[in-house]
Amino acid sequence: MDSMKFEQCLKKVQKPARYIGNEFNSIHKEWTPELMSVAFCFPDVYEVGMSHLGMKILYHMLNAREDTVCERVFAPWDDMEQEMRREGIPLLSLESRKPIREFDMIAFTLQYEMSYSNLVNMLDLAGVPLRAAERKRDEPFVYCGGPCAYHAEPLSDLVDFFVLGEGEEVNSEIMDVFKLWRDSGESREAYLEQIAKIQGIYVPSFYDVTYHEDGTIASFAPNRPGIPQRVKKRIIKDMDHTFIPEKLIVPFMEIVHDRIMLELFRGCIRGCRFCQAGYIYRPVRERSPERLFEVAEQCIQSTGYEEISLSSLSTSDYTRLFELTDGLLAMTVDKKINLSLPSLRVDNFSMELMEKVQKVKKSGLTFAPEAGTQRLRDVINKNVLEEDLIRTAKIAFSGGYNRIKLYFMLGLPTETEEDVLGIGKLAQKVIDAFYELPQEVRKGRSVSVTVSTAFFVPKPFTPFQWEPQNRISEMEEKARKLKDSITNKKIVYNWHSSDVSFLEEVFAKGDRRLGEVLIQAQKLGCKFDGWSDFFDYAKWQQAFADCGIDPTFYAHRRIGQDEILPWDYADIGVSKEFLKQELQRAYAGITTPSCREKCMGCGAAQFGGGVCFE
Amino acid sequence: MSKRRIFFSKTGMGKYISHLDLLRCFARTIQRSGLPVVYSQGFNPHQKMTFALPLPVGVTSECETVDIVFEDTVSDAEIRQKLNQNLPVDLYVLAVETPVHAAAEITAAEYRMVFTTATEVTKRQIQEFFGQTEVWTVKKTKRKGEKKINILDYVHAWEVLIAEEGEFTLRVVLDAGGERNLKPEILAKAIENYFLPLRIEEKEMHRCKIFCNNKDGTREVFA
Repeated sequence: MDSMKFEQCLKKVQKPARYIGNEFNSIHKEWTPELMSVAFCFPDVYEVGMSHLGMKILYHMLNAREDTVCERVFAPWDDMEQEMRREGIPLLSLESRKPIREFDMIAFTLQYEMSYSNLVNMLDLAGVPLRAAERKRDEPFVYCGGPCAYHAEPLSDLVDFFVLGEGEEVNSEIMDVFKLWRDSGESREAYLEQIAKIQGIYVPSFYDVTYHEDGTIASFAPNRPGIPQRVKKRIIKDMDHTFIPEKLIVPFMEIVHDRIMLELFRGCIRGCRFCQAGYIYRPVRERSPERLFEVAEQCIQSTGYEEISLSSLSTSDYTRLFELTDGLLAMTVDKKINLSLPSLRVDNFSMELMEKVQKVKKSGLTFAPEAGTQRLRDVINKNVLEEDLIRTAKIAFSGGYNRIKLYFMLGLPTETEEDVLGIGKLAQKVIDAFYELPQEVRKGRSVSVTVSTAFFVPKPFTPFQWEPQNRISEMEEKARKLKDSITNKKIVYNWHSSDVSFLEEVFAKGDRRLGEVLIQAQKLGCKFDGWSDFFDYAKWQQAFADCGIDPTFYAHRRIGQDEILPWDYADIGVSKEFLKQELQRAYAGITTPSCREKCMGCGAAQFGGGVCFE
Repeated sequence: MSKRRIFFSKTGMGKYISHLDLLRCFARTIQRSGLPVVYSQGFNPHQKMTFALPLPVGVTSECETVDIVFEDTVSDAEIRQKLNQNLPVDLYVLAVETPVHAAAEITAAEYRMVFTTATEVTKRQIQEFFGQTEVWTVKKTKRKGEKKINILDYVHAWEVLIAEEGEFTLRVVLDAGGERNLKPEILAKAIENYFLPLRIEEKEMHRCKIFCNNKDGTREVFA
């Protein structure tokens, strides 16, 4: 690699620290011909990708193998991409600055649908053929994992295989098979046939899809013997005895989550009906505080970070939370290390918990009631009562907080005008709660509540997967109504773009016919669609038109309950029958108890671990 | 407790670490090293750290300093050893000493600058650049304003070290410090522009020394 040319690019771009590597604890291996190589790609910019816990785990896990080198790759920001293309520099890894097309494996993590265009753009910049079918034997395999990999059919023409579920074990198995295949002289297809037998591996080219005239799927079946009809996800049963990195890379530049992240558990006991994570990560499996103390101690020592954050889908549901926070505070306070607890629920928030959070440093508080009325909160099974929120707000106000953020969704199934306006009313009640407190109890003279709404994106593997999304005009109308109803200057209202939510829905529920749209969109310059400064809806409309595909088919159609869904091949453990039953309960406004209150028989017990056997 | 001056180098890709990032990097390095550092009192306790002369992004150096207050229980040698064990590869502690000068006494810095050229540039042509009476440019001031300056007013000394086909190397001493400061990048840009349409590109900028002025006008290396 002409390092001089690369350096000249760095001089011309903003934030060159994104591209320099060499951070403390980054791993630089001596490249030898025997070494197997994995380019671990995050299809977004450095400071976003470096914040991702999964990448930290798999990077250190793969590098712990003596026969494998894993290096990081991020999407270059637009200014850098332009310089690289001008100089003819292909996409490079961060550690050895080798072209990623020279790696054995190119692995992408798919965290959100709006990063798909970046994946295509990165393959293009790498000089790797975009379609899996066009790749030759000595070219890398492109594979994807992460939560979107369960339903990433739009990428199935571009990707050689997908990994469904948690990656700690299966990524190593992939390398074991690769090692044997590499020296065998057999075809690419032979390798794919071998790994397709591993639980959790989905090879899209081994399945044929036919369609009805109306565009719905007529059949979806394996096209060769020995390939399973459905691919079951992988989980790590015992969270205490699995790989946890104890050395983390310490970036030079500030990244989005610039702290140690302690993963308390996977899964969520709650079953909010809009939340995909609540279903795909089942069953809930916790780590013990003892193991977490060890990891925290090691990470503090190896990074020098000034903050530890507890990571999970719902921190306050961790069964031994007080034991954990007490133990962590004992090891952090003297070292001036902050402890932060995101993902708190309002129904079990306490003064005691709040005091722990603020022992070192105080920041704003965020809660997510998700819907404006109790009726709609029951529909989505967000078991949060208005009293809980008001009680929590009062605790927070007496504890010295005077800024509260509230997250809601617009466009939820069965939503009425009353639900929309209920959001503003709820925010007002939080304001009122502040002034109801005696002056000597509340700290700070004034109060502010920030209301943020996102448009609901019905996701696969949730009870709402069959539901249509609101049309863009409906969404905007609702946001406008809510905006007009909020007159108090102490309430700030923000909402997300409706075009992005629409596209997110199209690619969440899309099938493999959308692959051509992605390729066309990249040609038209689509990238960084999650960034409002780059997202260009007109280009996407152009791409759909060029390919003769109507995106509203995927987003605005109510899907029949008997239809074959594009993501039916993925077996997440939770049965379709359970999701249908949950949808009926949603319509009836009946809430479903959490996994710890009562088992509803969702199907996740088949994995033989976690909360199902507590 | 006592203030120690840490002399360090910043090399390789480390030149792209910004000043703010460097601050954070040292804070974390000290945490990792477990060295007994003295924290500031107050609402948000932090390590007391002062960099004498921030290094512009894109410049390497062998004479950077940061002052940090440690407990007296730890020796200079131990500080040096533990920091080096915990610093990223592009940063390296050369020495730890008790400060002699105050950062406010800094007046100048010496840089080595390497340029690549498409065609040969002779020593004489470079002399002609420095022989001009004025080279004007616009400099950003601290208060987000702009100021017209004559670059040559800020150049104390210059010397052509090597001039050969495809490359030439300069040694320059420029005003530095809180009073008057010239970033080497500004000089590099001016040289590149001077030779247009000939294509000359700055390839390396390296800070070699930082100076203080003595009362008699002579210079002394910042220590």
